[in-house]
Amino acid sequence: MATLHVLSHSPFTDSRLSSCLRLLGPDDGLLLCGDATYALQPGSAQCLALELMPATISLFALDEDLAARALKTPTRVQVVDYPGFVELSCRFAKVNSWL
Amino acid sequence: MKFAIALFAPPHAPSSRRALRFAQAALAGGHEIVRLFFYQDGVHSAASNPVCPQDELDLSGEWREFVRDQGLDAVVCIAAALRRGVLDAQEAERYQRSAVNLQAPWELSGLGQLHEATQLADRLICFGGP
Repeated sequence: MATLHVLSHSPFTDSRLSSCLRLLGPDDGLLLCGDATYALQPGSAQCLALELMPATISLFALDEDLAARALKTPTRVQVVDYPGFVELSCRFAKVNSWL
Repeated sequence: MKFAIALFAPPHAPSSRRALRFAQAALAGGHEIVRLFFYQDGVHSAASNPVCPQDELDLSGEWREFVRDQGLDAVVCIAAALRRGVLDAQEAERYQRSAVNLQAPWELSGLGQLHEATQLADRLICFGGP
């Protein structure tokens, strides 16, 4: 059952992202919002880890949080707004927030 | 699609704003919100006494307007609220406290309401942390 994982903590302050990457199923999705978007910082180990995920795993990021941090998005990242966030939570069978 | 939304973060946390924008987008997209559940520090979003500086986003106020305007079922966890001093008139009288800072449209109730909401909804979406 495909799950959308939602992260909002910075990957530079705790291990939620790395724990999440280990748990991702083949059809799961990952949505970065808030400080979790810092994982897309170019050249970082976190960004490289995301780039190396299997192609079946979709990677999303919330547009306003990218804009607030002036982050450029790698090509595999799909940028979503709030209506897009709602659509994703319908598309995936479960939504798991890493609180 | 029926959503249950749980908020664990206080109103000054970005995740509280994210929860509100998600809830607004869900209704705008034609979806239903069966219940909002405010838990842990999320209960502060329901408190009526905090005063927000004029040049800042008044998230508690926005939540209150949203819940009232949309006629939503907005439950505040009673145990989390009492320990944080968020009391409605009934609880203030029960524990003989001088101030009431929880009013309509909010309702104090138990964790069972979150459990029931997850049964009624197609999706439970939780917001918390930063």
